[in-house]
Amino acid sequence: MNEQENARLEKLLETVQKPARYIGGEMNSVRKDWDSVRCTFGFCFADTYEIGMSHLGMKILYYLINQRPDALCERLFMPDADMADKMREENIPLFSLESRKALNHFDIVGFTLQYEMSYTNILEMLDLGRIPIFGKDRGETDPIVVAGGPCAFNPENLAYFIDAFMIGDGEDVMHELIDVIRDGREAGLSRKDILRNLAKLEGVYVPSLYDVEYNEDGTLKSFAPNDPAAPKTVKKRVVKDLSSAVYPEAIPVPYTEIVHDRMVLEIMRGCTRGCRFCQAGMLYRPVRERSMERLLELADKLQQSTGYEEMSLSSLSSGDFTCLPQLIQALMDRYKEKRVSVSLPSMRIDNIVKQSLEETQQVKKSGLTLAPEAGTQRLRDVINKGVTEEDLIRSVTDAFECGWSSVKLYFMMGLPTETDEDLQGIGHLAKKVVDAYYSIPKEKRSKNGVRVTASASVFVPKPFTPFQWAAQDTLETVHEKQAKLRQYLKLKNVHFNWHESELSLLEACISRGDRRICDVIYAAWKRGCRLDSWMEHFKYDQWLGAFADCGLDVAFYAYRERPYDELLPWQFVDAGVTMAYLQKENEKAKQVKTTPDCRHGCNGCGLHTWGVCDWVKNPPLKGKAQTAAPLAD
Amino acid sequence: MKMIVVFEKAPRLRHIGHLDLMRAMQRALRRSGLPLRYSQGFNPHILLTFAAPLSVGMPGKREVMEVPIEGEMTGEAFLTKLSAALPPDLPVLSAVPVDDRHPAPMALLTAAVYQAELETVPENFGEMVEKYLAQKEIPAVRKTKTGMKPCDLRPMIYGLTLKGNTLTMVLALCESATCKPDLLLSSLFEFAGTERPRALITRTQLLGEKDGALVPLESL
Repeated sequence: MNEQENARLEKLLETVQKPARYIGGEMNSVRKDWDSVRCTFGFCFADTYEIGMSHLGMKILYYLINQRPDALCERLFMPDADMADKMREENIPLFSLESRKALNHFDIVGFTLQYEMSYTNILEMLDLGRIPIFGKDRGETDPIVVAGGPCAFNPENLAYFIDAFMIGDGEDVMHELIDVIRDGREAGLSRKDILRNLAKLEGVYVPSLYDVEYNEDGTLKSFAPNDPAAPKTVKKRVVKDLSSAVYPEAIPVPYTEIVHDRMVLEIMRGCTRGCRFCQAGMLYRPVRERSMERLLELADKLQQSTGYEEMSLSSLSSGDFTCLPQLIQALMDRYKEKRVSVSLPSMRIDNIVKQSLEETQQVKKSGLTLAPEAGTQRLRDVINKGVTEEDLIRSVTDAFECGWSSVKLYFMMGLPTETDEDLQGIGHLAKKVVDAYYSIPKEKRSKNGVRVTASASVFVPKPFTPFQWAAQDTLETVHEKQAKLRQYLKLKNVHFNWHESELSLLEACISRGDRRICDVIYAAWKRGCRLDSWMEHFKYDQWLGAFADCGLDVAFYAYRERPYDELLPWQFVDAGVTMAYLQKENEKAKQVKTTPDCRHGCNGCGLHTWGVCDWVKNPPLKGKAQTAAPLAD
Repeated sequence: MKMIVVFEKAPRLRHIGHLDLMRAMQRALRRSGLPLRYSQGFNPHILLTFAAPLSVGMPGKREVMEVPIEGEMTGEAFLTKLSAALPPDLPVLSAVPVDDRHPAPMALLTAAVYQAELETVPENFGEMVEKYLAQKEIPAVRKTKTGMKPCDLRPMIYGLTLKGNTLTMVLALCESATCKPDLLLSSLFEFAGTERPRALITRTQLLGEKDGALVPLESL
């Protein structure tokens, strides 16, 4: 930004909500001299500072890029509505927190795609950042706009806006991507040629190098490269060894409070449980654990560099980490003196972890959240959530005995094959949790009284899951079911939360959308949609209007069951897990048959042919009894 | 023992509130590896007291805090360790060890110096300032916890000088009487009969009393 813009910004900051979000300068933020590097990367998170700063992926890549002497990475977040409006009024571009550079001054602009309902924010950020929204309108001096993250596995819904997608583990491909763009820019290559070179990298998808045709019924007819540089299928990138992979030893410590204000230790990536609704569980395969040695080294470095008073362990299913009790013990021993508490956000509560629970409590007691997902055993078997009611009740009883008094239960409604009995089951389960509390003698349980919060989100079928072909419940059905659930959960000590079903409907449309969804997102943004995941800004009517503007129907994207022979928009992406395996799993779901955790023996999901899964030959739990699936999210 | 520490809250951080600044300082102290003292109780926190909270929007040039530590160490050693753990916009300027029985800076605080950088200065404003000060009584209404209360600002003003665009104000800041710079500016411009311009106010020094004179708080 120039001096005048800077002065206007300083003035403007005095008039907006929570200005501390826009100032940067945090401990461990990295400010490099722009003249000293050959490539600049503007890392964008398409939501506000307090959400984005809680995200681990951004911290990993920020650290990784800034480790390079030839490159720099600076952060940009979605300004809140008041700030965005005032920036437009005052003609201030979207700027990075470190050097206050306008977004369009970066060589590379990268978005991490965490949830579909942040997509209008991408358009808003590009526009505020003075970058043409459509890739085709960008000139030679505009940045190359790239994106990655879990939602990049179906990149088609953003194909018009993003020049290149990175599919799979970002830390595996980032250096190559930067090298190609840096070299291309320095050699004076055209934008198109740089994109061609990017398409040659494994795991990179350049949508402009592919053509799409549709059938009359709106389904996909063909999808094919229009350039020899573009591969037919794009294979996801995989970090083979997590212990030797880059992990931040220092992360920016915000001044203002953010959602997850603590240091995070990613103990493993991937999950072997195979819940059929879970996209992350399929996308992040295979399971890779970080070694204890490396974790303790990282924990020490993070603790010293951040001064955080709290550490959390992160993975899809921390309870499955082979050395979890040893790790927790080691961390507790290390940090007792320094008053650093260790919290376990996702845990399996069985006999081993009960011991850890008691230890957690020594330092700090965090809330207990469990995710049975469905109300009956039948439906839990359909979704392959290997949890029994017995597991759940034993877990909460253990927790109540350790002094817990409030429990959050997460459920989904609208799962395939769901009946009224399954909804009633949610009520029964909540009641049994309350009863479990009262089954404990008064002097042993907490004096606060029990409080059970049951949350029911609306099931959204996601690409690369066995349910990717499934229909979502219509809004009408969802509303009826929510009304019933309200009845079933009218229980003493039980509180019921439900989610905005309209938001889930749009999420379903976008997540399985094709390229035409780009036009809908653009139309929605034009109609003033942004910050959609913030209820106070969500404009459902405008979204419906946007669908109408484009002559498209939500029913086609959300309510329609796809036949197996339909060409899916994301089918050109090779996520490792094969379509054949997903189909087999979907059929097993219909027959209410479960599939065991693959640590008991390889189920042949597809990744076994990649040579990246350590457990294909030596399943660690082979011959052992099955353990309960993780109860927590 | 405890350390009396002087630090700066640079203009970049002016939008950080008091509690956020406390937390940032506590985290810096944790990073420093200094022998800190913790509170008792279920959620122990680092013992640390600021002499006076700084409002959101206001930078501070020489803010004072008290940090109790275990054992003995020199101010220089403390300063070196803490400096290494602080971000550039939050530098520490000095540290002086004192006995645990030494009164808390908060208890010694009498007044503070503020500098307001006025965006525009009305004509003959210097004269206005003098006339304003010449009043025997300056009635104003200040916001307190229990509502709006009438008060007299004059005894709470120790000094008021204009130099170029900078208005330097020395105002009472203690438990019994506090005049916020914002209130003074409003009162002054109302007296002058002109619209109050935008102003960036910085607290430049905290003051205590010694032998009837105001001296830097950290020197006591």
